[in-house]
Amino acid sequence: MKTVKQNELSVDPDSGRKVRLIFSGLLLLVVIFLILDIFLGSVSIKPLDVIRAIFTNSHGDFETIILKFRLPKAITALTVGVALSLSGLQMQTVFRNPMAGPDVLGISSGASLGVAFVILGFSSNVTPESLNGLGNWILVTASWVGAGAVMLLIMIISSRVKDIMTILILGIMLSAGISAVVTIMQYFSNETMLKAYVIWTMGSLGNLTVSQLNVLLISVSAGIILSLFSSKMLNALLLGENYAGSIGLNVKFARAVIFASTSIMAGSVTAFCGPIGFIGIAVPHIVRILFKTSDHKVLIPGTILMGGVVMLFSDIVSQLPGSESVLPVNAVTSLIGIPVVIWVILRNRKYTGSF
Amino acid sequence: MNTFKSILIILCLTFASCGRVEKKGLVKFIVAGNRIERAERFTLVQKNRWTEVKIIDPWQGATGVNQIYYLVKRGSVLPGGVDSSAVIFVPLKKIICMSTTHLAMISALGEEQTIAGVSGTNFIYSPAIIKNVEKGLVVDVGYEANLNKELILKISPDLIMIYGIGSESSGYLGKIKELGIKVIINADYLETDPLSRAEWIKLFGALYCKENLADSLYKSEVDEYTRLKSFIVQKTTNKPKVLLGLPFKDTWYISPGNSFISKLINDAGGDYLWMDTESSISMPFGLENVYLRGLKADYWLNIGSVSSRNEISNVDPRLDDLPCFKNDNLFNNNNRITVNGGNDYWESGSLYPHLLLKDIATILHPELFSDHELIFYKKIN
Repeated sequence: MKTVKQNELSVDPDSGRKVRLIFSGLLLLVVIFLILDIFLGSVSIKPLDVIRAIFTNSHGDFETIILKFRLPKAITALTVGVALSLSGLQMQTVFRNPMAGPDVLGISSGASLGVAFVILGFSSNVTPESLNGLGNWILVTASWVGAGAVMLLIMIISSRVKDIMTILILGIMLSAGISAVVTIMQYFSNETMLKAYVIWTMGSLGNLTVSQLNVLLISVSAGIILSLFSSKMLNALLLGENYAGSIGLNVKFARAVIFASTSIMAGSVTAFCGPIGFIGIAVPHIVRILFKTSDHKVLIPGTILMGGVVMLFSDIVSQLPGSESVLPVNAVTSLIGIPVVIWVILRNRKYTGSF
Repeated sequence: MNTFKSILIILCLTFASCGRVEKKGLVKFIVAGNRIERAERFTLVQKNRWTEVKIIDPWQGATGVNQIYYLVKRGSVLPGGVDSSAVIFVPLKKIICMSTTHLAMISALGEEQTIAGVSGTNFIYSPAIIKNVEKGLVVDVGYEANLNKELILKISPDLIMIYGIGSESSGYLGKIKELGIKVIINADYLETDPLSRAEWIKLFGALYCKENLADSLYKSEVDEYTRLKSFIVQKTTNKPKVLLGLPFKDTWYISPGNSFISKLINDAGGDYLWMDTESSISMPFGLENVYLRGLKADYWLNIGSVSSRNEISNVDPRLDDLPCFKNDNLFNNNNRITVNGGNDYWESGSLYPHLLLKDIATILHPELFSDHELIFYKKIN
């Protein structure tokens, strides 16, 4: 078994050109969708007006829409897609589980619990509106703590229990337990807070202030850098912890690095944009299928690009271009991600080979 | 990619079919002897030995649903051949209200001592009823599915008044009816015309056998409202543009042009920016879309639950750039609130639409009623 996997990992010179081709294709798609996301929105603006708004200083209404609404939203979508997909990839490798992802193993639930404590847990004279200001920092920290705590718990469990299915079931149980706690909190909270929380759970990309966007960008960049450094560790971990240890990898250190980058990325995205589902679990699979490899030196950059593409696409759909209404982005990502996950489950027999 | 495309198509279809619910307007049945003039959601017919109340489409999205109740004087003989669970003995001596909005109408008839229970006593505004809560005369009966049924049984009211609920709540209703307690649905909040909503006082008039008092309260409200409305039409030439509400994240729920508040704004000599829309529910619009139209607004009303400019900036700093924000033309309907969040706008506002009208007209046209002090509204600083 192990020799087969090593062969898979070694770079085949013939496929090198193909890989480069896919990479340039994905990069092109990112650029196209990024531009489309800026051009399309619930207000119809002629492409010429969009270009004028970006490149001239007209101070018109369209300029406000483009620069203050669409540009930050597009950047957020790109960042969120990258962060969630990358944390999904890392989790799938660390847990050696094709079904792992921030929203499946309870990481997002943990972040939600942190957020629920902030939004629903405050006394009734603190309005959710006032929490949006200073409270955003409380929100992110609470989200990080929640995501980190669940991640830590899953790590501890998985170091004792080796069976993938058991961990997965425990993760689902953990999510269910957390949502029960959140339900109780919802039951005792007033209507405005409830609505604020429900809207938060639907996910949203377009409400980040510049300072929030900066925090998101910085933390996600940190996560990306950490994961780029960890591609070797991830490759080794893919072969099993015992094997990774035998080739001189400090398993504890590797886990800590991956653990940190996953929590930071998934936690900050969840705090600012709500629990956005199925991107984290679906994108890595699409990338594996596309590149036909399990080498993280390829998978990580591939996931970064594909995550951006899928999230930008979801955002464009959720804006329902040309209509006045919008859809919750979370609903769109779920509708895109769920077919991929179902497909992975159906061909799981073949697929377990990669883990 | 094909999956993506089909998803997109499905989404578009879903949106096309439900995005803009065209309300065709209720078919107004001409009922002989109906004592209701404007309200579309109920009829009141005086029969020989009882009053027949029909509540029409009592919840959001209901079509062709009629609930009929027979109001029978205490001690009279039951009408033959009718469902006995639909018979309500009047005048009521004990009532439980599932919404605080019904309290004002009961108080207006001088019957607040009959209120024995309320769902959400925290949200009561009326100081007299709050005093009764403190004395233990009015109890909190819990919420919807988690109604305290034992407490209700102990109170044993003549009637529980509930409001617009769909089939999803029929479970708990069935249980209460099983206990032999009478339930009536009040659909006043679905009335989109301010005077229609006020006409629901007539239902309470029938329930308390104070028809004449209720009729005269309604009539004076109609007179006052109509007088103000024509006065405003005569005295104003410009129509300031009005923005409503507050976004949740990047979605802004917009009240349609055929809603209660948009009619008030129109009657008060204002131009609601979404007057051209029609829907039976608030419509989720994209933030950038609302923002673009909001740039034209002269006034911004009903701004969520905010009490200061800061709170608006905290929701989204981009809102600071709206001209109505810069020009300090912000007014919210939370002038009369309790520390717990009870707001009189929702309590007695629907009974006195002429006061709401006068408030909004004073905001939009300060020169009209120079001596009028705002009642339900306050300026946000």
